[in-house]
Amino acid sequence: MLSFSLSFDSPWYLALLGLLPLLWWFSFRSLSGLGNYRRWFALMLRSVVMTLVILALAQAQLVRHSDKLTVMFVLDHSLSVPNEPSELMRQYINESIEKQRDNAKADRAGVIVFGRDAAIELPPFDDVQSMPAIESMVDREYSDLAGALKLAQASFPHDTAKRIVVISDGNENVGNAVEQARSLVDAGIGIDVIPMQTEVRGDVAVEKISLPPDVRKGQPFDLRVVLNNTSPDARQRKGRLQIVRRAGDRETTLAEEHVTLSPGKRVFTIREKIDQPEFYTYEARFVPAKVGEDTLPQNNQATTFTHVRGSGQVLLIEDFENKGEYDHLVERLRIMNLEVTVRSSRPDELFADLAQLQPFDTVILANVPREHFSDDQLKMLVANTQNMGSGLIMLGGPNSFGAGGWSNTPIEEAMPVDFQIKSAKVVPVGALAMVMHACEIPNGNHWQKVIAQEALKALGNQDYVGVLHWGNTTGRDEWLWAASTGLIKIGNRRNFMLKRLDTMVPGDMPDFQPSMEMALASFNKLKDAAARHMIIISDGDPSPPSNTVLRKLKTLKVKVTTVGLGVHGMPQILQRIANATGGKHYNVTNPNMLPRIYQKEARQIARPLVFEDKGGMSPQKLFSHEIIQGIEDVLPPITGYVLTNVKSSPLVEVSLLNPKPAGPENRTLLASWTYGLGRAVAFTSDAGKRWTEPWTHWEHYDRLFSQMVRWSMRPVGDTGKFTIATDLQDGKVQVVLTALDKNSDFLNFLNLGGSIVGPDMKPIDLDMKQMAPGRYIGEFPAKDQGSYFVLLSPGPGQAPIRAGVNVPYSDEFRDRETNDPLLKTLATMKPKRGKAGQVIEAKEVPAGVQQHIRQLLSFNPFRHDLPKATRNQDIWPLLAMLACLVFFADVFTRRVHVNFAWVPPLVVALRDKIMRREGAGVEINVMERLRSTKAEVTQSLDQRRAAARFEPAPDTPPAETVAAQTAMPAAAPKPKPAAAPGMPGPKEEDSYTSRLLKAKQKVWENRKRQ
Amino acid sequence: MKPLTAKPTFDHFCVPIFLSLALLAGCDSRPAGSIGELENVWGRRGLSDGRLQKPRAIAIDAKDHIYLVDITARIQKFDTQGKFLGRWRTPEHANGRPTGLSIDRHGNVMVADTHYYRVLFYSPEGKLLKTLGGKNGNGAGEFGWVTDVVEDSRGNLYVAEYGEYDRIQKFSQDHKYLLEWGSHGSAPGQFVRPQNMAVDKEDRVWVADACNHRIQVFDTQGKVLKLWGQPGQGVGELYYPYDVDLDGDGHVYVVEYGNHRVQKFTSDGESLGCWGTHGREPGELHNPWALVRDSQGHVFVLDTNNHRVQQVAM
Repeated sequence: MLSFSLSFDSPWYLALLGLLPLLWWFSFRSLSGLGNYRRWFALMLRSVVMTLVILALAQAQLVRHSDKLTVMFVLDHSLSVPNEPSELMRQYINESIEKQRDNAKADRAGVIVFGRDAAIELPPFDDVQSMPAIESMVDREYSDLAGALKLAQASFPHDTAKRIVVISDGNENVGNAVEQARSLVDAGIGIDVIPMQTEVRGDVAVEKISLPPDVRKGQPFDLRVVLNNTSPDARQRKGRLQIVRRAGDRETTLAEEHVTLSPGKRVFTIREKIDQPEFYTYEARFVPAKVGEDTLPQNNQATTFTHVRGSGQVLLIEDFENKGEYDHLVERLRIMNLEVTVRSSRPDELFADLAQLQPFDTVILANVPREHFSDDQLKMLVANTQNMGSGLIMLGGPNSFGAGGWSNTPIEEAMPVDFQIKSAKVVPVGALAMVMHACEIPNGNHWQKVIAQEALKALGNQDYVGVLHWGNTTGRDEWLWAASTGLIKIGNRRNFMLKRLDTMVPGDMPDFQPSMEMALASFNKLKDAAARHMIIISDGDPSPPSNTVLRKLKTLKVKVTTVGLGVHGMPQILQRIANATGGKHYNVTNPNMLPRIYQKEARQIARPLVFEDKGGMSPQKLFSHEIIQGIEDVLPPITGYVLTNVKSSPLVEVSLLNPKPAGPENRTLLASWTYGLGRAVAFTSDAGKRWTEPWTHWEHYDRLFSQMVRWSMRPVGDTGKFTIATDLQDGKVQVVLTALDKNSDFLNFLNLGGSIVGPDMKPIDLDMKQMAPGRYIGEFPAKDQGSYFVLLSPGPGQAPIRAGVNVPYSDEFRDRETNDPLLKTLATMKPKRGKAGQVIEAKEVPAGVQQHIRQLLSFNPFRHDLPKATRNQDIWPLLAMLACLVFFADVFTRRVHVNFAWVPPLVVALRDKIMRREGAGVEINVMERLRSTKAEVTQSLDQRRAAARFEPAPDTPPAETVAAQTAMPAAAPKPKPAAAPGMPGPKEEDSYTSRLLKAKQKVWENRKRQ
Repeated sequence: MKPLTAKPTFDHFCVPIFLSLALLAGCDSRPAGSIGELENVWGRRGLSDGRLQKPRAIAIDAKDHIYLVDITARIQKFDTQGKFLGRWRTPEHANGRPTGLSIDRHGNVMVADTHYYRVLFYSPEGKLLKTLGGKNGNGAGEFGWVTDVVEDSRGNLYVAEYGEYDRIQKFSQDHKYLLEWGSHGSAPGQFVRPQNMAVDKEDRVWVADACNHRIQVFDTQGKVLKLWGQPGQGVGELYYPYDVDLDGDGHVYVVEYGNHRVQKFTSDGESLGCWGTHGREPGELHNPWALVRDSQGHVFVLDTNNHRVQQVAM
């Protein structure tokens, strides 16, 4: 499977190998004293040392070649691909992996599905894998083939050849697949394609609904709807065209008529008139006469907006579980001439997009918990204030501010107060332990991370939190952090905790008892925790805890909430745990519900943020703000409010302050500030139901709340002299503003501030430039489907001009045929050192699914015609180390003469032992041998000392010296080395030693003289 | 300088030998109390025939054929060298997969179909022969999560279960309810997750009382005969013993899910040593669930989270 070769980063060093003969030349002579065998052996070792050093200098690398192949199937899962071909391709992939993958070569296969984003459906693996269904959640309303190719490239294992099989209709509308494919082939990745055949099947789309730019109250105007029949066969399509108008909660059908559409575009016009100032949404819908006749129902409707200014509109959102809680406030506001719309927080009543918030100039969150809103809805509320200039008021109550789980949300950012209390002296702290056992459900680890993170976000810095799970490596239950103490204060560790949660991989917990005992022990240590809560998520099959531990938890007032997910039967076990401790039990079938459950449960910990004083406390005026203008200094007492922490921003104005508890920064009753283009108000008590009951009879009640609402509202007024028009063309919106003054003269050189909010709630820059007298034009990209809201501010104090434009559907829903040229381009790209890919398609029209798959299987995407994967590994450090070792062996060979004379006697002795016969040799006297050895060693040392004192003559034959030494008795005096002819060794020695002696004598003489 | 030479002495080869011996001694990194030698490792993660995906129960028949069930609910048959011999799948597995396997006197495979509250009986070829139970409850013949089933020399069946009611029910060979013992708790005779059982030559029932970290031994009427084991990581201690097996010579083999090891005991609970430690390499275990012994005395450990089987001589 693997083969190896060498490569070099600096190959020119290899030229040094040419010096080897020189080494042999010089060494052969210098090593002559070693004897024949040792000389050759030493020569060989020197050669090896030199070779290794040269290879190390050349930065040798070991190159491993692998025969393995990995094929990643990249499957288009966007909505432009009809269901049948998508299902066919799923089956094809399964069969291809099962039948064509070479198991012997350990080939791997994986699957990526994509729409706008891409996800790994099956990771590359060297075994049979199958997709029973496509489970990855991707945005199917767009096609980003380039992104999917990029993900595939990143998913390949490094040690295999790589091929991507693109299965798509080729109709990309995000990214550039050809550009991405170039980088793939440059990296040696092959590309095969399987075109998913789609054809223009006939479709009617509502292309556009448009309004004139200068819609005014009481003036009739034309509303135009453009329908497009894309049928390729000149067939007429029948259906109904409905045009409806929505204003607030009212929906009016303006037109409904049967239409017969010939191929091509057709424009319908109706005359419309607006009598009441309001934010209006117009929607055109095409309903086909026969269900199923229309290919893409997603493109059958389009909307547009217009806004005719009038009096201010207020939206009050109340908790659907406590309906009517703010009826008194609503009634009083209406008396004060404010138009108030009340909606509950039920999902079907709440706003679904930003457009639905546009009729309102301020939004009041009236004691609604955070978990009733999705993350997107929170972003909309904030964008509505920050970018669209609306007001945002949060009224107090046990479900508001930090007590309502709003901590660490975008709403907290938009409010003039923070929802967490920094001082533990002011607020009793809470403690939350989470037990994680959801490893066996699909995506279990993902969900465990999400819910733990959501719970953590809902807690304050002063709260304690801990996560218990079964440690895969330790084989026991353990805390995710702070192993010894378990529950620890969040403090400034929030980010650390979030990171730890990201890496958490809980194992299969066999038993609930140990983890609950650990939690109990940790709760027991917390003396300052006023609220203790525990949440268990599990598939329910660990052994249940004992009644003893449940009793102890209940005694300690720890409520245990259990969340069953993918429960393997017997849900009553989890139910019993919850019942025994006063907690709740959830049996969850849809994991998407989990975050809200955890937000809600974590809120149990946030309850201490509510401060109540039954005796009452009278708020004090702190700052004379517009909201409390005309209100007496002494306000009636209140009995409770939610503690907050005023933001340290100079923009924040705290108008009313509660007298209790300590710390003015946490006692805010009324605070306000300007947030972006809008205004936000925090009123931390309620409006009469629970804590401010005496206020309902207070003479300034109406004044206070009406002034609060009016201050927060978007400026209103007739902006009749400004006309704004929007036009969507080729993914761009052009905004045209015509500005006239009171005398209908052009207004020039205006400094127009523009703000746009896209469907993702992110602001988009808009630069308005004056192009003609009184005419300003700007442009912004609008590729995503959804509503885009434009807000232009003509000047300080003036009401903003608003408009909206809707991208009715993405390009994905345009009826198109397969983009064969793109797919073929991908297939013809030749990977580096490999062959171009194949277009895999049925050769003839298949009779059925199985025949189609059989035809596709006649091509083999697992063919091994791509360059083998190579992996380089630096081995020069290893070579350098090896050279050192061999060098040591070289020195050893030259310095030490190993005598093998002991081998034959040993062999003989062993043979005699094995043959069980008397030894024929001389009996060895051990002591005698030791003495003899000692004498030899002494002699050897003497010789070494002598050698260190005197230099031998250079041309003295070493062999003779050795022979002479070995022939000498141990006590014999050492012979003097013979002087070589012509080389007066002693003289040279005299000159050296005499010089030393002379120098020494000179020193002594000098000393004597001194 | 002339090279130094020396006549070889005893020291010349004694020193290297001693060094080598010392090095060899130092290379033994096994923890104290370790016994056993790894003989073979087989099995790889995967879904194709012969591959394993978190296998959780193992059984071996008289012909030394090994049966494994994994979390795909496949029951696969192997020889002792890991050669794949066949497979089948339980009829339903959406609620959860079996966690217990045993062989009866006739060589049939008994499957503890845990999350369907029943025992399935298969021929060695995978033909479903009969079913015991199937109803969740605490009545006679009703079950919680079934963990294991074993048979005594008279053909009586003992079925262990956990959940709300941790107990062992005894049935005659024609599946008539006879008696039961045990409840949830830690007193002698009570259980917290009796994960696996074994029957010895004297028809005593050995129970791996997993979450009580102990082994209990009962007679055929449910009377406690022995009880040993305490939680811990040390030699002689147990942490989540998931399976127990006997060699007929008075030795008891216990596989510990929490300690990632196999421990050998005398029948009175005196530890004779451990094999295995946590890890992914051969000789290391990751949450092992079960073990069996073949006719030659080799121990086969089901290395669950490493998706393989390790053969050990202990």
